[in-house]
Amino acid sequence: MTAPAVTAEMEWEETLLPAGSVPAELEAEVRRQFGAVPSWVARVAPAPWVVRAWATMVTQPVAHLPPGIGDLAALVVSQDNSCRYCFGAQRAVLRMLGYREAYIARLERDFHVAELSDAERAALDFARRMSRADPRPARAERERLAQVGFTAPAVAELAFVAAAIVFANRAATLLALPPDPLEQMVDRPLVRLLRPVIARRMRSKPRRPEPLPEPNEGPFASVVAALEGSPAAGVLRRAIDGALASPVLPRRTKMLLFAVVARALGCTRTESEMRAALALESLGTADVEGILATLASSRLDARETRLVPFARETVRYHRIAAVQRRMREVARGLEPAEIVETVGLLALANAVCRLSVLLDAA
Amino acid sequence: MAWAAVVALLAALGVHAWRTRRTVGALERRLATARRELEALQQAFERFAPAEVVEHVIAEGVSARSEKKEITVLFADLQGFTELGEGLAPADLVTILNGYFERMSRAIVEHRGYVSKFLGDGILALFGALDANPWQTNDAIHAALAMRRTLADYNETLAAAGRPALAMGVGVHRGPVVAGLIGSEGLMEYDVIGRTVNVASRVERLTRTHGVDILVTEATRAALDGRFRLRPMPPVAVKGIADALPTFAVEGFDGGATAP
Repeated sequence: MTAPAVTAEMEWEETLLPAGSVPAELEAEVRRQFGAVPSWVARVAPAPWVVRAWATMVTQPVAHLPPGIGDLAALVVSQDNSCRYCFGAQRAVLRMLGYREAYIARLERDFHVAELSDAERAALDFARRMSRADPRPARAERERLAQVGFTAPAVAELAFVAAAIVFANRAATLLALPPDPLEQMVDRPLVRLLRPVIARRMRSKPRRPEPLPEPNEGPFASVVAALEGSPAAGVLRRAIDGALASPVLPRRTKMLLFAVVARALGCTRTESEMRAALALESLGTADVEGILATLASSRLDARETRLVPFARETVRYHRIAAVQRRMREVARGLEPAEIVETVGLLALANAVCRLSVLLDAA
Repeated sequence: MAWAAVVALLAALGVHAWRTRRTVGALERRLATARRELEALQQAFERFAPAEVVEHVIAEGVSARSEKKEITVLFADLQGFTELGEGLAPADLVTILNGYFERMSRAIVEHRGYVSKFLGDGILALFGALDANPWQTNDAIHAALAMRRTLADYNETLAAAGRPALAMGVGVHRGPVVAGLIGSEGLMEYDVIGRTVNVASRVERLTRTHGVDILVTEATRAALDGRFRLRPMPPVAVKGIADALPTFAVEGFDGGATAP
């Protein structure tokens, strides 16, 4: 069964934003990262930091994780989040990389019974639990990965890869991105003929370990530090810094969105960090507590009044169409840059709060 | 002659290969259909039990697996429905009741609740049972208020059809429960047990005593958004609880029509 046939039955609304022009410099940056410019770039370009974060996070900046596992985890997490865009695109990527259709289908059906090693199965299980985060994967689950041969840096990178896909899934779902042209391309005779060459170019190459980015300061520095030794640390730091430096939404709004997602995911560390940051934005402890308890307050501006309650809906959703319709309601009257930045922030908050399990003691 | 035999053999092999390929193709298509059906079934199941429980059942079969969690329980019951039913034809009774269940279920689900079961003309709904939900109590009371509005609309529909109006009582309590797959080998369901469920049911009964439609306990009030308008009711002794139970009638919500 081809990818379009599998994904055709997944519910998905009309795309939220039209494709726009992409600044040449940004396009060149993405091309360097991907070797091509994915179709989503033209819709996400109004908030360049989202393009950079997406392009760098999903290309698996890992040095310790055994090759191949990230690609399989991306499929499993995208399927778990019912992200039609990412699932279809990742399916096409796997086929380009040379995975057989029957193997992919078995993986989708139940990776517990697919032909996988114990380590691969444990890794996919962990990636899916990272995505669901209900309950948050406990330390014991990371220790189980160590028992099947994963080093601590590899476990951290696996958590990062899962969180990065959570980011992409939310971004693609909230924007209701149309199917990636790669899905159709994979079955073209010329592409099939050239597949081994394309696969060699597409296969993510293990990178060299990297020291922590300097400086690693500001929000979520401890989450970034949990990736020490991995190139993922720098990628995450730059994504967070890019999000916070963007002038589109006020810093206070960003912190509030992070805090709500943290509350929904039971991520007390991120929540306290955001409370402290919000205190600097003239929101006192009682104000923040009130906002987090009720998702409303007279202290919120008109835009925050819409965005804050919506943030909780991006954490877990059973009906894709319902969350996409809500996103459309929330986006009404907002500029494309505001829409993309909101989506990027919510996607990043979901990724960072899930990734913070690396810091959980229990 | 030998060439003819070779050609015949190759032709036979070709036909065999073609047939095998066709059979494999058909089997793959059936397998793909079965997979889609299984996925749909799994997604449907996740509306009845947490995804983790569904996953566990699929991987290891049904087993006694339970956990303690804090949830908000909403218990709704129709008041005087038995007497009302005595004056109605059975078909009318069922139509009215189904219309009520349909509307109330929608109000509950729209506020992130899970309708656990219908008990006669009663409804047991749970908030925070399937997914972790820090706003579960607010959601439950928003659902109760939506049920009040929905019932008012339904009563207008019933009146227009010359049918009697319905009256409902709703009790809400928040507390710990044991949640898991409960039942016999033949019939098992995801359910919750514990004092919290009993208290919600007792509080629902108190709506008759106090002459109100929505009552909540102190534990519920403590977790609620301050914009809900509550009126304290005098404590009343109830079965199974040592001290008289203080409750609060829910009058409305001052934060606008839309719930977060």
